[in-house]
Amino acid sequence: MAALFRLYNVTKRYRSREVLNIRKMEVNKGRIYTILGPNGAGKTTLLRVMSLLTVNDSGRIEVFGEEVSWNKSQLVRLRRHMAMVTQTSFMFKGSVYYNVAYGLKVRKRPEPEQRKIVKECLELMGMSDFADYPAQKLSGGERQKVAIARALAVKPAVLFLDEPTSSLEPNSAMDIEHYIKFINSQYNTTVIMVTHNLFQARRLAEEIFFLWDGKIIEHGSCEDLFTRARDERTRAFLQGNF
Amino acid sequence: MAVFYQGIKEGLLLIMSLDRELIQITLLSLQVSFSALIIAAILGIPLGSVLALKRIPGRKIFLNIIYTLMGLPPVLAGLIVFLFLSNRGPLGQLQLLFTPAAMVIAQVCLALPIVCGLTARAVMAQPQEVYDTAAMLGATRRQAAWTIIKESSLGIVAALTTALGRLMAEVGAVMMVGGNIAGKTRVLTTSIVLETRMGNDSRAIAIGMILLLIAFLTMLIILKLEKRTFKDGGTIQVI
Ligand SMILES: Nc1ncnc2c1ncn2[C@@H]1O[C@H](COP(=O)(O)OP(=O)(O)OP(=O)(O)O)[C@@H](O)[C@H]1O
Ligand SMILES: [Mg+2]
Repeated sequence: MAALFRLYNVTKRYRSREVLNIRKMEVNKGRIYTILGPNGAGKTTLLRVMSLLTVNDSGRIEVFGEEVSWNKSQLVRLRRHMAMVTQTSFMFKGSVYYNVAYGLKVRKRPEPEQRKIVKECLELMGMSDFADYPAQKLSGGERQKVAIARALAVKPAVLFLDEPTSSLEPNSAMDIEHYIKFINSQYNTTVIMVTHNLFQARRLAEEIFFLWDGKIIEHGSCEDLFTRARDERTRAFLQGNF
Repeated sequence: MAVFYQGIKEGLLLIMSLDRELIQITLLSLQVSFSALIIAAILGIPLGSVLALKRIPGRKIFLNIIYTLMGLPPVLAGLIVFLFLSNRGPLGQLQLLFTPAAMVIAQVCLALPIVCGLTARAVMAQPQEVYDTAAMLGATRRQAAWTIIKESSLGIVAALTTALGRLMAEVGAVMMVGGNIAGKTRVLTTSIVLETRMGNDSRAIAIGMILLLIAFLTMLIILKLEKRTFKDGGTIQVI
């Protein structure tokens, strides 16, 4: 199986504080990964490094079998196979339609195709009625749904999700979970998701990385981690002793 | 107080009588200031955006110089342009001194730092998320930069408004390089100076009213423009 991401000794520091130190991490095609860990563990930073938004201080990163050199044409080319739903789901000024069509616009897809895809994606998220609505006026949950629709519109090979259901009520969250599973099985989309919801991790993840203080202290299949966690900190976290 | 009353009365009469000289002066004022604004916008918006987004060496110093020039006294701008355009100056051969073109050049010097500086600030005030979101949706650097500039549109409109206000209101620069020649380079603000000196206080007030009226109309247009921007969110409601 070809690895989509390979990280070796990747570190990142902010003002001399090391917030990320990944000895080795591999992500394979077509799987669903979950990253767990306490606040400030470096989960978002890890997603940002993998999606090439944050430059690592040292180490080696391979994406789609290519070593990342950070030159700008490579960045755009690699990123065009990825999409991300961030923790804050930032919306551009303008309508919901504009936001969802953005990724297709910058790829210069023909207008009719854009309309068709935007319509499909909004329908999928139950947000069709909001197409002409100013995106910055949406509620937190609506915004998160539009952010997901916007990410799906570009049909990414890899989908990064940073707590994608944190603002959603249980029913919507469940819908999203179903949908994540669906695109994963239908389009073989690789999903890398940060979540604080242990049940959600258990329902979705095939593999889990447990992050602590910037380091991966545990990695394994969902079953392994929940039933046979090796590290004491992981066990405590999973039992909710925090 | 009588002079104000008289001035306002005469002003209304003057405006309604469509005094030919006054119309000519008003049109020249508008022509000079809007030309200067358009040139300042064409140069200043891209320059300000580049300064905000590109990590070019000397950027901080350059920005500080621009912020300082935002307070450039109009007479000083006029003096510098005067020295350049005067017969002994480096551009003396162009014979531009005491023409509307010279007035436009002097006003561009005043407006450019304002447009450029305030555009840079508006763009720099955008959150990192704008770039991140654009980049993760596949935008190239150029496309992302354009998106960030569009997100700053409200601030850029404010920059243009501020610059226009300054241009319409200033006397020093247009006086220095225009010379206040009747029928040629006389504008509203220089007329006020002249009429006051000649003791025509009420006529001066009348012209002042026209300036206010223009400011009012411009503001209406800007509000219309801004409404289109505000429509899509971003307004803070305070109850
Ligand atoms: N741009 C930055 N500048 C300085 N420090 C940063 C920056 N980004 C992240 N950090 C720090 O790095 C650490 C890891 O942050 P990160 O956002 O990756 O945590 P996280 O695991 O996503 O946390 P959470 O669960 O709260 O989202 C935090 O201590 C944070 O304060
Ligand atoms: Mg985070």
